[in-house]
Amino acid sequence: MAVHDAGQAGASAWLKRNGVFVALAVLVVVMAIAAPQFATAQNLTNVLQQNAIIGVIACGMTFAIIIGGFDLSVGSTAALSSVVAALVITATGSIPLGLIAAIGAGLVVGMVNGGLIAFLRINPFVATLGTMTMIRGLVFVSTNATPVFGVPFGFTALGLGKTMGVPNLVIVLAFVAALLGFLLHQTRFGHHVYLVGGNARAAAVMGIRTARLRFWSYLIVAVCAAIAGILLVGQTASGQPQAAMGYELTAIAAVIVGGATLGGGKGRMLGTIAGVFLLGVVSNALNLLGVSPFWQPVATGLILVAAVGLDRVRDDAA
Amino acid sequence: MTVADSAFSDMSAKPVTGQPILQVAGVSMSFGAVTALADVSMRMAPGEITGLVGDNGAGKSTLVKLIAGVLQPSSGTILFDGKPAAFTSPAAARNAGIETVYQDLALAPNMPVWANIFTGRELTRGPRFLHVLDRKAMIERTRAFLSRYDMNVPPIEGAVEGLSGGQRQIIAIARAAAWGSRLIIMDEPTAALGVAETRAVEAVIRSLRAEGHSILIISHNLDQVFRLTDAIWVLRRGHMVGSARTQATTPNRIVAMITGAAEAVGGGSDGRA
Repeated sequence: MAVHDAGQAGASAWLKRNGVFVALAVLVVVMAIAAPQFATAQNLTNVLQQNAIIGVIACGMTFAIIIGGFDLSVGSTAALSSVVAALVITATGSIPLGLIAAIGAGLVVGMVNGGLIAFLRINPFVATLGTMTMIRGLVFVSTNATPVFGVPFGFTALGLGKTMGVPNLVIVLAFVAALLGFLLHQTRFGHHVYLVGGNARAAAVMGIRTARLRFWSYLIVAVCAAIAGILLVGQTASGQPQAAMGYELTAIAAVIVGGATLGGGKGRMLGTIAGVFLLGVVSNALNLLGVSPFWQPVATGLILVAAVGLDRVRDDAA
Repeated sequence: MTVADSAFSDMSAKPVTGQPILQVAGVSMSFGAVTALADVSMRMAPGEITGLVGDNGAGKSTLVKLIAGVLQPSSGTILFDGKPAAFTSPAAARNAGIETVYQDLALAPNMPVWANIFTGRELTRGPRFLHVLDRKAMIERTRAFLSRYDMNVPPIEGAVEGLSGGQRQIIAIARAAAWGSRLIIMDEPTAALGVAETRAVEAVIRSLRAEGHSILIISHNLDQVFRLTDAIWVLRRGHMVGSARTQATTPNRIVAMITGAAEAVGGGSDGRA
């Protein structure tokens, strides 16, 4: 039977599980020393606020990735949700109706994605690439690609305001992450998401309804994207057809950096949050150090490749 | 759906004496124009290990799929414990007490041992609609259950991908036995294992028999079939060409039946295997 050096295997497994937290902690400490403006309450609050919306999307994306897929349509869905919210709020004057309509738009997108992937068994890349382009096109058509103004300015309390010093966006993110973290890690549903992601055929053989589980996972992703769309309205008091372009890739990158694998079956909600803020702190650091913002995508790409690459090296060494 | 109280009960594994645990009568199976099984009959005595042998394409896998509810026969009947067993799905067969250990084991490599043992039958606690996992209970039961077998208990909370092939096989077999199953079907249980691991798995299979489980083994390894089984049934080109009590036959005679050099040695379908 396999005999491992328990100490070595334990250390390697620990690092593998917690690498993203270590990296984030090291980066924060280094930055605190290197740049005096970094470790100020204002800057750290900024970092939290700037990454909260992508964080909400990444929380949902975690489910799609752990179950063995991903969702490219989240950016378009966020834009759709922001436009729907703005249109309904301006047309009816009712903010609750606007929020309900925005979430409803997310539910529709989730049902389409989930139906295509879970029941028609279309590859997640193809299915969500299709819905991503279609949704963005529909948003442009319905708005003539111009922002939808007219949302009461008071609504920006959601996107720009603070409660007891904490940005409201961050409170929303914390709430979403806690709720979805509970669902993923403590309930049978989340447990089954891991089982299906690890070996879908085995899960099916053991009586788990894999298609239904996939469907629900994509529904969760889309609702998170819709919440992100509402938060976008909260930042500008308008519906933005061009908003959230490229968010899908940043969210996927954050989840992978947070320890998930595209093959499915691995990942954690806390890892995702750490991944979001690792990418966020890096971009903030480049900013503070006076590096051109054009370098930021280069850094994000490097971190992504490094995270996956280190994982592979450790796997091969084990 | 909760199985908390029946989990790991071995009471239902006790055989009913006299009556066959499994009886296949005149079963045929066609896929379009291809006949996979033609008028196949067999029976399994309760509490025994029965071997099912035959060359590639003889119909072993098809017969096993019919018994496990994966396929439904074109004609003929299958009786499980004396009752008609027309299972429409593997889940229905499992609920009736027939578990299958697939050749690929059907384990989730990323998940801990306890999660694989409890796949699809997780224990939950707290308010029912929340379905909060009861990890502690599942880990404890898995540990207690695995320690019944004479084996090195692998780390219950470690992922299956960290285990050796033999340990994985034992986890898959133990899962099949964990749920009060009466009949366990094993498809090539040691095909990928080394000598020592094969012996360890065989020891577990014997201890399942000692607990009262009936076991149907498909194996290409005749040495193993002779080491383990009480009775042997031979399929050849979709026909059940013979059966024998293991102690009353020889590997040569079984090989002769498998290859067609000898037909119906030892009684055929009407014989008491």
